[in-house]
Amino acid sequence: MNSYLAGILIGVFMIAAYYFSGEGLGASGALKAVVVTAVNDVNHDYAKEAHFFAKRVANEEQSPIKSWLIFEIIGVIAGAIISAALAGRLKLEIGKGMRITNRSRLIFALIGGILFGVGSQLGRGCTSGMVMSGMGVLSLSGFIGLVAIFGGGYVIAYFFRKLWI
Amino acid sequence: MGPLFPLGTIGEEFNMLIGFFIGIGFGFLLEAAGFTNTRKLAGVFYGYDFVVLKVFFSAAITAAIGLYLMNHYGLIEMDAIFYPKTFWIPTLIGGLIMAFGFLIGGFCPGTSICAAVTGKIDAMVFVLGAIIGIFGYAMTYEPLWENLRNSGKMGEVNIADWMGISDGLFILLMTIVAAIMFFAVTRIQSKVTSKRDYQL
Amino acid sequence: MMKKVLDLFYVAILLVGAFWAFIVNSTSDEPIDRIQPCDLVDIVAHSDKYMTTDELARRLMSDDPTLTLVDLRTPTEFKKYSLQGAINIPLAELLDEKYVDIINQDVQTVVFYANSSDLSAKAWMLTKRLGYNNNYILRGGLNHWVETILRPREPKETAVRAEFELYSFRRAASAYFGGGSVTGESVVAKPKAAPIKRKKKEAAGGGCD
Repeated sequence: MNSYLAGILIGVFMIAAYYFSGEGLGASGALKAVVVTAVNDVNHDYAKEAHFFAKRVANEEQSPIKSWLIFEIIGVIAGAIISAALAGRLKLEIGKGMRITNRSRLIFALIGGILFGVGSQLGRGCTSGMVMSGMGVLSLSGFIGLVAIFGGGYVIAYFFRKLWI
Repeated sequence: MGPLFPLGTIGEEFNMLIGFFIGIGFGFLLEAAGFTNTRKLAGVFYGYDFVVLKVFFSAAITAAIGLYLMNHYGLIEMDAIFYPKTFWIPTLIGGLIMAFGFLIGGFCPGTSICAAVTGKIDAMVFVLGAIIGIFGYAMTYEPLWENLRNSGKMGEVNIADWMGISDGLFILLMTIVAAIMFFAVTRIQSKVTSKRDYQL
Repeated sequence: MMKKVLDLFYVAILLVGAFWAFIVNSTSDEPIDRIQPCDLVDIVAHSDKYMTTDELARRLMSDDPTLTLVDLRTPTEFKKYSLQGAINIPLAELLDEKYVDIINQDVQTVVFYANSSDLSAKAWMLTKRLGYNNNYILRGGLNHWVETILRPREPKETAVRAEFELYSFRRAASAYFGGGSVTGESVVAKPKAAPIKRKKKEAAGGGCD
């Protein structure tokens, strides 16, 4: 699909998200909800006290997993599968650069994931949630995130080039 | 007038249902744009594929223009919408960490979920890593991260206000800059890919 | 070549949109002295903004002198049917100079009403944003007034006692307000929203806080 068209359509869906639910599209929040729910289910007393979890588990009636973001992510999963199926891109594989092995790629993916997990919590969002949705409402935080992620990326890209090219 | 859920026009269940359908659209478009391919994603940093920039900025600009106009014509009440608070220090540092995560892992959370469910094993590992990362962060939150995360508090800051210009002017400037950038990166991409075959 | 043209087309759309936003921005005057967005969201979330039809009926029947009813609909609709003692201020004129003492004060309890909650919610938001207090939304509007007060429905035999008590109250109210003799056709079709289970949480969730 034409990149600009995809972008414009994503923008339209983001507007819809704000129009209906009052919040923007996001992703890392859903992963966080998974962690919060799991910890809460295993040890609620700890979750109640610990600063990281307290606010989210305070309401005893409502599970932290029942949030708009989770329903959105489930939709994202469905949408991605549908698109891939229609285009014949549904297959088990490992995407990687040509100069490293599959094993290395998986190790790096894990490390990268861990870093992103930490970074998104500290930065209060990931690229979709904080940056893209933030830019949509003209929030300064979104633009700071944009500069940090992309700017930072360009600076360090050279050192990781062997992974990709 | 929107936003419908915060203003009580629609109920919670209906809101979640709509969220599901909006998610379908988002996921479909991410996949269709090719974001499940980790090499395409990394291409923005090496000049051989700028799809990330094109999609990202088109989406942000479309949303900014749409929301601004809807607010102006009374279709939406921006004051009732979730507005992120700006904490510039942790956002900056978090962003840098995420940059590392992006270049090493090759994904961001949203794209990794899309890729994982369409069969990319590296994406599944990335998602696992992200969950581990969040868990680790949560468990060490108070001693390690809490103070950092709450530093640099600026409240809810609108970038146009921060720059001292009007919203409309900012949107226009942003769009013009983006248009120039689109033109530039298209040129760069064709130059870079004509030298080597990147087999995307 | 075709791809290039499409690309240009989409980018052009974005530019047109941006110009539109810019022009609209430069030629409009935004209200000054507004509450900051962050505060407003908190206010919206924690505000007591509704008055139920039952509560309104109670106040009208006890001749509450601190009650002011504002009918936000057009004069034609107002003439056709309105609640007793209501003043007619069509929503479009709500912020006119001459009405400011009605919507910005701290003695009366002002209740906005229309056919449903929509117009009232807008009126509430507009006045809240300017810092005015003591304004409320008649929940469900006239449609709900007709359903609950003028033509209350009898509870099922298995209902709890409180429901029967409410029903007798409503029957009395219906008699007081001349229920049954109202045509009730002037009301607009009700939105099909599920009952709103409002808990005191943030008005809009979101983010990773």
